[in-house]
Amino acid sequence: MASHGLMYDGCNFFRQRLVLSTLSGNFEASFIRLLDKVTNGSRIEINQTGTVLFYQPGLLFGGAVEHDCNTQRSIGYYLEALLMLAPFMKTSLKATLKGVTNDPADPTVDMLKTTALPVMKKFGIDGEGFDLKVVKRGMAPGGGGEVVFTCPVRRIIRPVQLTDPGKIKRIRGVAYSVRVSPQMANRIVDSARSVLNKFIPDIYIHTDHMKGPNSGKSPGFGLTLVAETLNGCFLSAEMSSMPQGQGDTVLPEDLGRNCAKLLLEEIHRGGCVDSSNQSLALLLMTLGQQDVSKVLLGPLSPYTIEFLRHIKDFFQIMFKIEVQTPLEDESKGGDKVLMTCVGVGYSNINKTLK
Amino acid sequence: ASQAFLRQQEAAPNLRKLVYGSVLGAETGDEEDEEELGGLFRVSRPQKSKKVTADAIDCSRFNPDTSHDWDLEEMLNSIRDCFVTGKWEEGEDAE
Repeated sequence: MASHGLMYDGCNFFRQRLVLSTLSGNFEASFIRLLDKVTNGSRIEINQTGTVLFYQPGLLFGGAVEHDCNTQRSIGYYLEALLMLAPFMKTSLKATLKGVTNDPADPTVDMLKTTALPVMKKFGIDGEGFDLKVVKRGMAPGGGGEVVFTCPVRRIIRPVQLTDPGKIKRIRGVAYSVRVSPQMANRIVDSARSVLNKFIPDIYIHTDHMKGPNSGKSPGFGLTLVAETLNGCFLSAEMSSMPQGQGDTVLPEDLGRNCAKLLLEEIHRGGCVDSSNQSLALLLMTLGQQDVSKVLLGPLSPYTIEFLRHIKDFFQIMFKIEVQTPLEDESKGGDKVLMTCVGVGYSNINKTLK
Repeated sequence: ASQAFLRQQEAAPNLRKLVYGSVLGAETGDEEDEEELGGLFRVSRPQKSKKVTADAIDCSRFNPDTSHDWDLEEMLNSIRDCFVTGKWEEGEDAE
């Protein structure tokens, strides 16, 4: 591995770089502080104008961590990175993150709970204490939400063969609302069902109306939908109301209908891992034992493409990328991509052997 | 079917090139030739797009293809077999 640092420009894909840098052990600010909290001996230097960052990762320590996430981004922004690092800590991570739980930009905590955790389970990250709990909900811009993420540590990551997602057997969802009429959630559910009922009867959308101190500081509502397949793959879509004072107000009926259509779009893309968790799956494939891993994905998102380039920079791993076109007499959405790689055989040196 | 096969053959190396750029030994040679041949070929898109995306919002969300209109029956039919209620392949059965 290169002993000199890797140089990048721009703030986009910032998390990918720091996460991969921490894991690969190579040389290379609310988010940085969070990284500082879960590691031991990280060296972080930012120049006076705040335009140059030097990051020398330390050891992943874990343990109980509490962090006030900057409310400009939702907790999902921070959590996505923690999900990638958590299995490789020295001691099991128990992270309490406070801030915005749901906003329109980032994957919400509800979505990560229903899609990212099952992806990690496929790689053998499982068992007691693997959980993501929404204690308080806090909509953008005020925030005031709180989630607790606990994750056991693993010494090695199991290679996977996820080449067939199977058919969708049911659709689940959460329609949430805070500081607005609880009727909003019901209106969302009805309109979403009207679209999805054409495909499958097994739909249950839970309504979640948090009150009082658990409802955060700003009003809002939204919907997370997830389609579960026979082989235990999860495809999801979501939509949140715009933060108070920003953009046009949206009717709950429109939000429900549009979110249902987003789910159809996600099903059209298909694959064994939904589009927002592609990089998580690819990272775990990269870090797996030295064996072949295969995962079928939908079209690669721009974020994932950049992630693949970064994986090549940090781990010198290139994936075999094969396009799979569905047969003509099948109606299974668009082209799929089969990703194949041999893991680097990463083993968690931080974890103490018992 | 043969057309589909050809398309697949074409798409595979392109996707690899799209992701990793023209870093593969054998392909680099080809590409340079193409460039010299008349400048008609688009070379290594990653470098071009990198500048544009460097200062965008760091967000993992994949925005949907706006050309898909999910009000059309045609679109709805295109994913019908993804569900247990759709058509099953031979040899498969609902468990």
